[in-house]
Amino acid sequence: MQIRNTLPQLRRHYHISPRLLFAAGLVALFVAIPLAYIFFRATTGGEEVWLRLLQTRIWKLLGNTLLLAATVTGGATLVGVTMSFLTERTDLPGRKVFRWMLAMPLAIPAYIGGIVHLTLLRPRGGLIPQLLAEWFGQPIPTPSPLGFGGAAFILTLFMFPYVYLLSGAAFRSLNASLEEASRTFGRSNWQTLWEVTLPALRPGITAGALLVALDVLAEYGTVALLRYETFSSAIFVQLSGRYDRSAAAVLSGVLIVIAVMILWGELRLQGQARYTQMDSQWRPAPTLPLKKWKVPAFLLVSLVVFSSLLVPVIVLAAWSVQALLDPAALASIMRSGSQTFGNYAWNSLWASALAAVIAVLLSLPVALLSARYPNKLTQAISRFCQVGYAIPGVVIALSLVLLVNRYLPFLYATPLIVVMAYVLRHMPQAVRASESALNQLSPSMEEASRTLGRTSIQTIFQVILPLIVPGLLAGAGLVFLTSLKELPATLLLRPAGFDTLAVRVWVWASEGFYIQAAPAALLLVVASAAPLYFLLRREQIFR
Amino acid sequence: MQHFSKKLIGLLFVLALLVSACGGGTAVPGENAPAVESNSPVENEAGVSGNLVIYSGRSESLIQPVLDAFQAKYPNVKILLKSGSNSELANALIEEQANPQADVFVTTEIFTIQSLYQQGLFASYRPVGADLLPAEFIGPEDSWVGLTRRARVIMYNTELVGADEAPQSIFDLTDPKWQGQIAAAGSTNGGMQAQIAAMRQLLGDEATQEWLTGLMVNEVTFFGGHTDVRKAVGAGEFKIGLVNHYYYYLQLAEGSPVGIVFPDQGEGQIGLICNATSAAIVNGGKNVTAAQAFLDFLISEEGQKLFAEGNYEYPMLASVPLREGVEPLENFRLADVNVAEAALDLNGTLDLMEAIGLP
Repeated sequence: MQIRNTLPQLRRHYHISPRLLFAAGLVALFVAIPLAYIFFRATTGGEEVWLRLLQTRIWKLLGNTLLLAATVTGGATLVGVTMSFLTERTDLPGRKVFRWMLAMPLAIPAYIGGIVHLTLLRPRGGLIPQLLAEWFGQPIPTPSPLGFGGAAFILTLFMFPYVYLLSGAAFRSLNASLEEASRTFGRSNWQTLWEVTLPALRPGITAGALLVALDVLAEYGTVALLRYETFSSAIFVQLSGRYDRSAAAVLSGVLIVIAVMILWGELRLQGQARYTQMDSQWRPAPTLPLKKWKVPAFLLVSLVVFSSLLVPVIVLAAWSVQALLDPAALASIMRSGSQTFGNYAWNSLWASALAAVIAVLLSLPVALLSARYPNKLTQAISRFCQVGYAIPGVVIALSLVLLVNRYLPFLYATPLIVVMAYVLRHMPQAVRASESALNQLSPSMEEASRTLGRTSIQTIFQVILPLIVPGLLAGAGLVFLTSLKELPATLLLRPAGFDTLAVRVWVWASEGFYIQAAPAALLLVVASAAPLYFLLRREQIFR
Repeated sequence: MQHFSKKLIGLLFVLALLVSACGGGTAVPGENAPAVESNSPVENEAGVSGNLVIYSGRSESLIQPVLDAFQAKYPNVKILLKSGSNSELANALIEEQANPQADVFVTTEIFTIQSLYQQGLFASYRPVGADLLPAEFIGPEDSWVGLTRRARVIMYNTELVGADEAPQSIFDLTDPKWQGQIAAAGSTNGGMQAQIAAMRQLLGDEATQEWLTGLMVNEVTFFGGHTDVRKAVGAGEFKIGLVNHYYYYLQLAEGSPVGIVFPDQGEGQIGLICNATSAAIVNGGKNVTAAQAFLDFLISEEGQKLFAEGNYEYPMLASVPLREGVEPLENFRLADVNVAEAALDLNGTLDLMEAIGLP
């Protein structure tokens, strides 16, 4: 709040730097062009393509996609809020360990979780149905992980941590006095939870739910694997099947519209209510005793941890051992063409790391502008640079294929085009992290620096940057983490010989060779877990 | 749009500079180069070196042994492989026509490669030894060359289905008696696409659509690839699978109780649907010497043996024997499909699959 108060004063001192505005404008343009191009292609795709798609596909895809997004968002919200309530507000045994274990599934890409659960649960062929059949001497019908039910289950299982983390932080920061007041007015504990606590947590929960909804729209691997058709997978099929990009562009245009509508809906929802707290009087809320619910609650949390974290990790580890012990499998895993396993791992690491560095660098002018000179224009630029959230990897890949091949052929078929896709797709995370880092920095620092004779550029490099480095690293960590997992954009844009861990997992798994896919999958999970650990350490609930 | 594009170009240049400045030290480290078994230097033809970029629609486990053997012969060549579905890679080739990236294209069926030939994507080259192959498996103007043949067969689990009970025609697969018991590959699979393309030519759109709809009504489970299908039938998860013939032999070799039917051999039936894997040299590829050496190798006795022995396929080269136990194609009546004609209308096949919503 302090920052906002000093801003008018700041503006009197210096007007918006034209250089900064220009740089931020360039970044926004960089983000905007693929989007604009897809819309251009979609709207000029030709009446015939639209008619064909309207007659055959769009309505079914629309129904499928929205149904899945709604179900998974609802499911992830339910699971996430329940888990954060139990670990933050009750005397659940082992809650400190559970806090970690509930966040860790973020390191497991949903398609890898899907591969594991598919082999376990597949009717008749899966390990669990087989075991049941052995125990009971006859086949026992089990729910199939394929289709809508399976996709909703898997996506909920691996996306609830978004809601869990954001609502957990909100639970933690909630002031005890709010609930005390509610009880003073005669509400029971449960009434307080429903009528006071949860509504106060709404911003955190909505933000988490938004991430889930947008992620479902962008998801390709899981829905393709479990054979449930959404816009994302249909675009991919169009791209790889037909020798014509118009249909893919049309479907992409519709998908972007859905995503933007979800973003807009969230903005409206958030805009209606404000919950302000007085920080000076903050006290943590007391923990609620679970009493007779202790055992069921413990079992419930264990079940979630078991299926979203332990099962995938254990199964991947077991398969990896199996693969390492089988010389034939090992030989085929280790090489593809003249490239080796070390190449894939290295490609994954450097491409994601480079994307993280570039995304953070590009986010700086935007964040500086919106944090220091908040007005409608700078806010619009900042919002705009976050539109990558709403563009699935497959759409970014399509726009880059079309644009780069046409205007920058020398960049096409180099790893840099893959990096560019990562930057475009994951820039929002960098922008948000940089903005929040800058917002925590008092403008008086800059004023002092300027007073002491430094230029604005010197101030940025000598004063601001060193102070916000931890925040920037967090943004870079997020971009790195999500780039590592990115599948559809990598699949479509990779040059020959430039496979990443995610691509290797997919190449093997889509052919049905799950054991061969395991070592790359396990390494991917481990590589994601490391930055995730450091990101979580920054949060209060993980100290 | 023009205005936009110009700004974009400038912006992207800035980014490209930034990227190359940051990425200077990120070259692929050399110590990862695979150790190559030493070969007598006489065999290493001089001048064959550099990167050889191969786009391959074949399952990776089915081409890597061939690549390894080629690599052993030409240790100075670095093979860069991009695996994917035939159509995905075909799209990439079309996309890259003005700026070719690949040297060689390998597919699992003949229609895609023929269709790309018609779009002028391939360079003419008659590989050494091409005269020994059946003439029908050399593309027009020496644009592509057939590598192996594969038959579309029905495999079944012998513990669940008796030999006399197994379906003898692909049209039996729509029989309600097998409802929910059949597995096949889905619409993104090259083998399945080629089968549908062949059937459209043999029977027309209406009958093909009726058959596909029948499969869907019969609750056939469509997997992404055939490996899932053969494993599922081998494990008894499904009674019957529609696959390429070698998947049966691969599953049999794993010790599963499986049987095979080469379908539609009766009077008035369409005959066995066969297909050919094939390869071509991409027009404008950067390493023509290596690409030509690779094609020579693929149809040489050594290359053909690898396909026949390692993967139970039917080699094109008559002098290479079938792997023991594989039923020769000569024993069967083959469906009569005109490749060039089927390739012309590949989009029609995709339209059909899309219209009925084949998974």
